[in-house]
Parts: sequence; C-alpha cells; structure tokens
Amino acid sequence: MSDKSSSSNASGFNRRAFMAAAAGTAVAAPLTARAAGPAATPSAAQDPQLPVDLTLRVNGQNRQLNLDARTTVLDALRERLGFTGSKKGCDHGQCGACTVLIDGRRVLSCLTLALVAQGHEITTIEGLADGDKLHPMQQAFIDQDAFQCGYCTPGQIVSAVACVKEGHANSDDDIREYMSGNICRCAAYPNIVAAIKQAAPEILKG
Amino acid sequence: MSTAAPAPKANMGQPVPRYDGVAKVTGHAQYAADVPLANPAYAYLVTSSIAKGRIDGFDLTEAKTMRGVIDIFTHENAEKLKEIKFFSNGGYASTTIVPLNSPEIAHEGEIVAVVVAETFEAARDAAHRVKVKYTAETPTTTFDSPGTTSARAKGQNAMFKEDPKVGDFANAFDQAEVKFTATYETPTQHHNPMELFATSCVWNGDQLTIYEPSQFVYGLKNGVAQQLGIDADKVRVINAYVGGAFGSKGSTTPRTAIIASLARRLNRPVKLVASRDQGFTIATYRAETRHDIQIGASRDGRLVALRHEGEEISSRADAYCVGGTKTTTRLYACPNVDSLVSIVRADRNTPGFMRSPPEVPYVFALESAMDELAVELKMDPIELRRVNDTTKEPISGKPYTSRSLMACFDEGAKTFGWDKRAATPKSLADGDWLIGYGCATACYPTQMGAAAARVRLQRDGRARVEIAGHDLGTGAYTVIAQAAAERLGIPYEKVSVSLGDTRLPPAPVAGGSNSTASTCSAVITVCDQIRHRLFQALMPNETLADKAKETVGVGQTPASKAEQSGQPLDREKAFDALGVSAIEEYGEWKPEGAPKDSLQALHSGLVRMVGGPDLGGKIAYAFGAEFVELRVNRFTHEIRVPRLVGAFAAGRIMNPRTARSQLMGGLIWGMSSALFEATELDERYARYVNDNLADYLVPVNADTPSVDVILLSETDEHIDPAGVKGLGELGNVGTAAAVCNAIYNATGQRIRKLPVRLEKIEV
Repeated sequence: MSDKSSSSNASGFNRRAFMAAAAGTAVAAPLTARAAGPAATPSAAQDPQLPVDLTLRVNGQNRQLNLDARTTVLDALRERLGFTGSKKGCDHGQCGACTVLIDGRRVLSCLTLALVAQGHEITTIEGLADGDKLHPMQQAFIDQDAFQCGYCTPGQIVSAVACVKEGHANSDDDIREYMSGNICRCAAYPNIVAAIKQAAPEILKG
Repeated sequence: MSTAAPAPKANMGQPVPRYDGVAKVTGHAQYAADVPLANPAYAYLVTSSIAKGRIDGFDLTEAKTMRGVIDIFTHENAEKLKEIKFFSNGGYASTTIVPLNSPEIAHEGEIVAVVVAETFEAARDAAHRVKVKYTAETPTTTFDSPGTTSARAKGQNAMFKEDPKVGDFANAFDQAEVKFTATYETPTQHHNPMELFATSCVWNGDQLTIYEPSQFVYGLKNGVAQQLGIDADKVRVINAYVGGAFGSKGSTTPRTAIIASLARRLNRPVKLVASRDQGFTIATYRAETRHDIQIGASRDGRLVALRHEGEEISSRADAYCVGGTKTTTRLYACPNVDSLVSIVRADRNTPGFMRSPPEVPYVFALESAMDELAVELKMDPIELRRVNDTTKEPISGKPYTSRSLMACFDEGAKTFGWDKRAATPKSLADGDWLIGYGCATACYPTQMGAAAARVRLQRDGRARVEIAGHDLGTGAYTVIAQAAAERLGIPYEKVSVSLGDTRLPPAPVAGGSNSTASTCSAVITVCDQIRHRLFQALMPNETLADKAKETVGVGQTPASKAEQSGQPLDREKAFDALGVSAIEEYGEWKPEGAPKDSLQALHSGLVRMVGGPDLGGKIAYAFGAEFVELRVNRFTHEIRVPRLVGAFAAGRIMNPRTARSQLMGGLIWGMSSALFEATELDERYARYVNDNLADYLVPVNADTPSVDVILLSETDEHIDPAGVKGLGELGNVGTAAAVCNAIYNATGQRIRKLPVRLEKIEV
C-alpha cells in the first residue's frame, strides 16, 4: 500500500488534488478567462454552456481545442482529436476501457474533465509504439493472446504499462490485484497476466 | 509454443498469432463508434421509467432551450417505422415492440425520446431535462408475479419445433429402482459486452451507411431497410471489428432504424452511443428459467426414465424461448423420456440469445441432477456419465457423428487430479477453507449455414478473401486466413481478409457457434474453384471421354484427379499457362440437408441453420468435460475458485491458440454464471436494479482462477468440408453445474438456484 500512495504523491496529477482545487476557485478562474463563443462578451459564469478554449498535450503534441466544458478527456480524445484507441465501455469509471496515462499515472479518462488535464502529459494507446516497433507490452499481448474482441485491450495495455512501472507486477497475485480495474468480458485474464510477466523485465530494463 | 499457443495435435491447425493482433494492440482497430463522421449530430436516448402504461405528454421546454440542442423526437413527431418480423419467427427483429410508434409503454427502459444535439455533452444534458408524463399501470415482473400468462412453447415460436419424448416416461419412472426429483432456477443475465450499443447512420442521397457492432451485417441491412420502407440495396452496413457480442448484437434492435430515420430527416450523420444502463433494456438478455427434473434409474446407474420441464420468461409481445430440452433429452441413453417447455409472459423487454442460450440453463439443471443422482447411488459422477454414455441419441435413435465425451472426462480427470476427490462432503479442508471438487458435461450442437465468399489469388502468391463474416473476438479473421492459406498452398502471412461489410459476399449470423464451420467451408469451396482452374491450366489436354465420364460420375479427368489428391500445385507455371496475373472466384457453399432457398434467403439476411439434433440422419454435437476446484470459508462463507479444468473435443481445431482462448473465456463465463451474474429485478416496477458494471458482477482479474484447457484431437468427416464443430459456446456449458457440484462436495449443501452467493451457504 505504501507503493500506491507514494506513486500518487509523486505525480502532479491526481483526482484528490483536482477535487480540492475544484472546491475552490483555482479551476473556475481559468475557465472564465478562456470562455469563448458567439456572444459578444460572454461571461462563462452566466452561461456555463459556452465552449472554452484549451490545449491538451497528447502523445507529445499540443492540440488546441474549443470544447464544451463538460467534455471528458475520453470524449475529447475520441470525438475531437481522432484518438479512438481509448474506448468507452461504461462512462462511469467502472470498466477501465478508457484508461490513459496522465503524467505517467493511469487515469480513467471518462471520469476526467478535459479542462483539468491541461498542462499535463496525456499518453494514449496510440502513443506507446515507436513507429512500427511495438511497445514490449503490445508485443506481449499478441504473443500471449491476451485479448479476444480487443475492445478493452487499449485500456488493459496502458494500465499494464503503469502497473509494471508502479512496481505492482512482482507476482501473479499482485498483477491480478492491480489489474482488476480493467474488465475483460471475453475473460482473457490469465493471458493478460502472462503478457505482463513477459513484458515487465523489458520495460523495467528500458 | 507456449501455454497461450498450444502445440497442435492431429487434425489441428497451427497456433498462429491473431490476424488482427497489431490493429487491436495499437488502438487502430476501428470499432463502430470509432469511425470518423463529417459533422455528426449526437443522439442521446431517453428511456421509460415505467414498465406498463402510456405516455400522456412531454414537457420539452427546458431541454429544448439547452445550447446546442437540434431537436427532440418522440412518438408525437417521429417517423412511424414499419414493423418487422421477430427473429425467432423467421424475421430480423430482436423484438416486435417498436418504440416511438405509439404512446404505449411495453417495458421499463423502452426508448421514449431521442435528443439530437451538436455535441454529446449537450445531448446528454438535455436528455436528462426531458420530462415525461405517464399513466402507469402495475406491471408483471417475473415468475409468480400476479398477471403472468403461461403457455406451451410449441406453436408459439417457430424455432421451437417439438417437446422431445420417447417411450413411456410415467410408467418407467413409477417402476424405477431409484427416483430423483428436483427443481432448479437460473437468473436473468445480461451480456454486457465491453463495447456499448452504438449506431452511426450516414445518408448519401438515398444511400444509407450504418456503422454498428453486428453479429449479422446482412440481417441488419435487410431489417433496417424493411423498417424504413426502402430497397435493401440502398443500405450498407460496415463493421470490421466487434467489441464483444455474446448474442446481443445478432438481431436488429429498434434503435438502428430510429437513428437512420433521424439522420435522413436532419440530412446529417447521426451518432448514438447508448449508455451502459440503457443497454440493459434497448437490447436483449438471458431470461430467468425454472426447471423440474425427474430421473428414474436402476441401482447400477442406468437411466430408465427422464423428464425435463422448463419454464422461461418472455415479453408480452414476443414468444422468445431457448428450449434446451432438445439437448438435455438426447444427452444420455434413456429409453423413456418426456419434456415440456413453457413460455411465461411478463411486462419485460424481449429476451434473446446469450452465449449458449439453451444449454447454459438447461444443462445446469440436468448436470446438477446427474450429480445428485450419483450421490444417491453412491457412484462416482464420472462413472455415472460413463454408464449412460451413448453413440445414439435416444429420441429417434440417430447416431452421433462423433462423440468424445468420455475421452474428455478421462483426459480432464487426469489433469485435474480427480482421484484426489473425497466422495464424502466436508472431508477435505485447508485451515478455515472447505475444499470441494465438481465436474459436469459440456456439450453444444454443431450448427452451420450457407455462406458465400470471394477469393483472389495472385501469381506472386498473395491472396485476398472477402466474406461478410464477423470477428467478435472469436478469431474469425485468423482462421479464415488459415483456411485459405492451407488450401491455396501459400503462407498465412500472404492472405488478407475482409469481413463485416455488406458489400462482401454474405455469411450467416455469427451465432450458434456456426461461424468457423460455415465461413471456412465456403472459403475452402472457393479456393477449390481456383485450384480447379489452375490444375486445368496445367493439364489442358483432357480427353472428351474423360470429361464425359466425369460428368456422369463414373470417372475423373487427370486435372480433377490431381486436384483432389492434394498434389502440390506449381502456381506460377499455372498462371503463366493461363496468361493472367490474378484469378478471382466467387462461390457459394450450402450444408447438406439445408433448404433449397438457403442462399437466396442468406442474401436477404435470413438464416437457414442446420445441425445439432438434425444433421441429415445424424446428430452432431461438440463435447467437453469440466472440472472445478472450489473453496468455501467455513466462517465467512466466502467462495473462491482456485482452479478450472476443461477438456474439449470439437472436430478440427483450426487454431489451438484462438480455440484455447475462447474455451478459457467460456470456462470463466461459466464460473461467473454460477457465482457472479444476476440482473436483480425490482418486482414493484419490473425494473432492472443493477444496470451498470459495478453492480452487475462480472469477474475481474483477481477473481479469475488458474484455467487449464485441454484440446482433444477429434476427426469428424460427417459434418462439413472444414471438419469443424464450433466451440465458441461450448466452454460455458455445464460449468455452473460443476461449480454447484463442487459446493456440495465441499459443504454437503446443494444449491439449486443461481447465482450462488455467500448468504446462501449454510455450513
């Protein structure tokens, strides 16, 4: 458990910090400042439905967006930026299909508003491979047949990369526990464990 | 070779990696909702909060003033769509309940309005502000609720043809040395594939393109065309990848034509991604069932009388049923058999196919009863199956095309360590944990349907296969590529495969585990047409006498002799003799005994499936034996499953890797259906309570035991050209019984109503 808390403290991005900020004005202020829309001098405080300008950094590139403030990172990626690798399986943070890395930490993008991901590094499944060379975790998922329908797979792989880096891939039981936020309805679980064991040494070495 | 890729035994293909592996691990595989659309409008559904009654009116004022809302459609202003026939009665529809056609409400969660907006966020927000005024009536929810009606399934549902019976059950049961009677129940379950029920519709003039996850693109195309009243040729369904289906995406649900109609009206692409909770009511589910089993046996374990009576819930509108007695009455030798299936109607959405629809509930009942009988007879449960094993089904005496049931039990028992099982319950423990072993039979009918394919072979050895089959995660791309590669004598890597598009030649619904048998048989047929042309090019000087003999069936030309002998083909030489660089062939395959109109029907999106208890004069089933080790904590009653072992024989195994994965997933599904899954009903409102992935329990990685899958070598020449039985639904049959049999072995307690939850355990 100490691993878990230290890894979240090490990251600049976590949900607890967001909740604390949202309760105050830290988030509301940039939101008003950036509000844009057809009205002449719109006041976002009066009309929260107006879209806002923001920049998301995805897989190493900055992307300018004009978004509905209610947009999640998942919908911004999928509907606005063309990164459809991350999947919507529940939109409630219950299935893990939308998992992305934010500043290296695994995050449910369906529960994360795009606005609060500004200034943070988002890595999606599309950002893992090095050109045509697959990430070791991607190759391991193929080798171990760690998927069937493939719909949960981007979330599983992203989650698995973080699981290894967190130091939670030291035993089968550890992997099972720390990968239990990602549902696979085809139930490829034993093969997912095998894939993570295959890829872990290479990831930790690199 | 590795655990994931077992070495092939006799009559098995190579465990090559999945054809679609790279696409799936890089996020580039395009599922329906991933397809980019030009300027889409976003739809969000509003569903009924009552199960029975009518809509008196809407208050849309607040919703319509939301920024970005384009329009809101209800029965007051939506296009009236044409009704289509129910799937089980030879049509396309998952239900004949047509939302937005009238103010009447047939079930909770029925679509009552669709909000269309510029963004998903606006549509969702506005949908929550749609106010519906209802006059609600008290609904009927399930078995024993006031207001149900019950009637024999026979005559109500075209797919349920008979209540199998033979001999004189009543008399034989009466006189049996050992009598056993029990009642079993299975719960409502929802498929919950990870991919949501998405639909995007794009019109280009009078041409409609639909992007939707589908197990049957031709069915969807034709069903939607009928509902919209347009020519089916104007509709194209594209769906290269399906994010899990398990039966839920096989027939045409109401949402598709609604979205198509709105897109036509707005003259703009419309995209819907229904929410997880809406998926519980806008599509189908596995209905709850009840079973009365009566078995009469002799002291040595031979069955002398068997009766299986099943009751199933369906909607008021449709007589859906699974009727698993067609399997359970034929599984073991027994001279006197009786059965009856009834459909009980309630105010519910129409149920539908869910992975092994008949076998999961009905075999749970029979295989639990067999275990109980073994206890009563003081027999080993495996020996009880052996005594009643048969090569002929008892109802009409048809021989099984092949049946490796006992070989599966023997192999499985060895790997599992069945000999370490204590026959007396509660005798094996590890600290606070009682340990139980259980086993059960798995079986699934071998089914197939007509299919067509197009194959193009190039001089350089590259080939392209086109067939509107479906890869639900089953490995269809992979095994089709393997079938073509093997037949054309080229490497697997040189074959490209296109699936899931109604521009391609038709294949049947990817359901009933028929896909590999049907699509591979069609592909093999077409590859043989290509081989035929190439061999003829190499041996052009056939005599007229040879040709005449071949025509009347008394001899062969040298070319056809060479072709059928499996003689290797000098491809480049043959192409040069023909003077072309590529050959393309279209062909159709129809199983023996299939109706004459099978292929015409298939082009219209209708399936004429053959197989199972009625494959010509034979009966064709795949078999397996499943073993469960289970632990029950004697204080907390927590149940853990450390180990599952399954041994299976299913004819030719095209690819041991994809086959193993599917069977492994099936075993875990089976465990889940016993210990986890149940859709809870609120009987006051005929409403599903736990309609989300946190409360509808499915196994996660930490719930998943070690799983051993043993593939037995089996050759069956009586089924189809591919020699394939199909195994996608075999793995989760019988598992629930094996789990309950293990619980009995651990605790001495028999649980006959699923799911087993810790509060049911009374140690």
